[in-house]
Amino acid sequence: MRTTALPAAEATRPRTVVVGALLATGAVFMAFAALVAVYVQQRQMSRATGQEWFPEGSVELGPAGMMMMTLVLSMVTVQWAVQAARDEDRPHGFIALGVTLMFGAAVINQFWFVYQDTAFAIDGGRAELLFYVVTGSFIAMLISGMAMLAVTTIRSLMGPFGRDLAHGVQAAGAYWHMCVLCYFLVWYVIFITK
Amino acid sequence: MTLTEPAIADSEAASGAGGVAAPESSDEVAAAPSILAQPFVTSDAATVGRLFVLTSLLLGVGTSVVGVLLSLGRTEAVAPWDLFGGFNAYFRMWTLYRMSFMLLVVMPLLLGVALAVVPSQVGAGNVAFPRAALASFWSWLIGAVIIVVSVFAGGGWGAIDGVTGNESDAMALTLLGTGMVIVALLLGAVTVATTVISLRQTGMSLLDVPPFSWSMLVAAAVWLFTLPVAVANIVVIYADLRGRPAIAFGRAESPDIWLQLDWLVEQPAVYIMAVPVLGIAVEAVGATVGARSSRPEAITVIVGLFGLLAVGGWSQDYFTAPQDLRDGLVYVAFGLAAVLPLVALAGGAAELVLRGTKTPDRLLDVRMLGAGAALKLLGAAALVGALRVIEPLDLLETTATWAVFHGVVVAGLIAGVVAARNWSHELLIGPLSVVVGRGAVALLLGGGGLLVLSDLISGFLADAPDLMALSLDGSAVLNVVAFAGSILVAVGAAAAALGAVSALRAPLVAEGDAT
Repeated sequence: MRTTALPAAEATRPRTVVVGALLATGAVFMAFAALVAVYVQQRQMSRATGQEWFPEGSVELGPAGMMMMTLVLSMVTVQWAVQAARDEDRPHGFIALGVTLMFGAAVINQFWFVYQDTAFAIDGGRAELLFYVVTGSFIAMLISGMAMLAVTTIRSLMGPFGRDLAHGVQAAGAYWHMCVLCYFLVWYVIFITK
Repeated sequence: MTLTEPAIADSEAASGAGGVAAPESSDEVAAAPSILAQPFVTSDAATVGRLFVLTSLLLGVGTSVVGVLLSLGRTEAVAPWDLFGGFNAYFRMWTLYRMSFMLLVVMPLLLGVALAVVPSQVGAGNVAFPRAALASFWSWLIGAVIIVVSVFAGGGWGAIDGVTGNESDAMALTLLGTGMVIVALLLGAVTVATTVISLRQTGMSLLDVPPFSWSMLVAAAVWLFTLPVAVANIVVIYADLRGRPAIAFGRAESPDIWLQLDWLVEQPAVYIMAVPVLGIAVEAVGATVGARSSRPEAITVIVGLFGLLAVGGWSQDYFTAPQDLRDGLVYVAFGLAAVLPLVALAGGAAELVLRGTKTPDRLLDVRMLGAGAALKLLGAAALVGALRVIEPLDLLETTATWAVFHGVVVAGLIAGVVAARNWSHELLIGPLSVVVGRGAVALLLGGGGLLVLSDLISGFLADAPDLMALSLDGSAVLNVVAFAGSILVAVGAAAAALGAVSALRAPLVAEGDAT
């Protein structure tokens, strides 16, 4: 058999939904990174003039560390959901989705605790304003990630399976990972370096 | 794939997520929406592209009329604030002119061309997410209406003489509209970029993609890197503006809001509008003389390099001392280096002319004239940009800033005219009249040239930083020249818009006329 006469294998193209989601995810990350950059620059400027950024002891590391741990765990469960959608495995898919959404809700709950604990007023000064802008934007991103994940996973697992639907879960998973990366920035910039 | 080959439908375009399959039965054809309903329900990217092109050209006419009034205010015939009814009103129009030309005219114009042209260039049946493209158009249009209405209601991007009444609320609305417009443009950019990456014909590598599609991929990537930074600025400003009272970023009574966003219309970010112009120019020249570049990969690299030099989210001087940023090596290097890809691309276009058929009718074709004019203006803008970053010349905070801006936006308008002539089939309009096309190109080139020249010389004559050109002494003649330039640009934009609208009623271009 002359193998040279065989037709060339069809080139594989990146999956449309995943590519589109990755581009959009990159744009969201750029916006969030810009917010963090404004925060860091303003804090640096404030400290350069000898001013205090946050009052000593007002921002605790404990709850923030718990949120980081929670989100790291959610990275595992979101990949579990992605793999379940790929394998057309309904029971594992729903369990993974449920656990991931629970982790997301837990982080929002912990942020609520942080807000109560710090008791900052949004118009209290630049530090407080930017604290709420950065963390509020993160919460909005997290909620949108939870919604994307729920919709794509349920669409994938409830109806007939299809390649594109599993790709949707994969796209939502990529967005989720970006959210966790953004929280890492928040954790380091706001809660660790304060 | 040659430039003249018909679009090759890619089944993946239709079957992929968000894709819309072509009608298969006569029932489906019969159920097609009416012409009035089409703009609201269409999943055909060419129709969405045409909507973008026509609407942005019409907004271009309005914006250039605002430019004429602003230029009239720069002459000594009447004080600018008297013309508009106060300092704040003048500032509102001054900022609207700049934001509008970028976000409501040039970027959507080129995005519209891309939505219509890119799928056929890469062999896809449609764009990757046709409904997202439609959502992009409508959210852009609604955002544009919000911006215009709120600015005329006393909003805008800050004030220079305090605020009264509900002006602060109107400013919040302007910010909302600006954010909407930017997100809509980003959605369109994601659609175009995904089409090029995912839906191009099997066997077509990214290096084989036609220059315009490649330039749009680069532009989309640069937009995705740059515009979200402006969205972040808007979030911070909005959060502060709605607080009681505003702390720093959202002070409505000062020009602070504008100062946090003006980097978008200054170099290097202003060049993000110009990236697709390079692709349009190369393709138009090649199609006119019937030649292809001997080094297409060089064009690819040049366009990519220009895109890289247009990434500008880092160049905000509001959060730091301006001199720290603008005397910095990176800012100067970006300013100087932007000239190089344009010179190289002009060389590439010249090579096409040398290799192609050089008959007088081809050399005087609208596409050839327009491509040359766009590249000349863009080159002039980049050259002024390079002079501007040379510290001893003291041009940074002068009207030289707007020489760069005017060169880029007028080049973008001319590229729109060239595209309408070059891709009549894809834009689903009849051929743009030769007379109208040549007239529009000549008027825009003349007007843009006068604006660039007068702004540059005014910058050299300025004794002190004066971005709004309010110190009239010493440059009165130049202000009259700028006024004449603004009129030419307005008439040119009107000619282009009228030409496009009248072409809608004309029969589709004859086979072989458009490429």
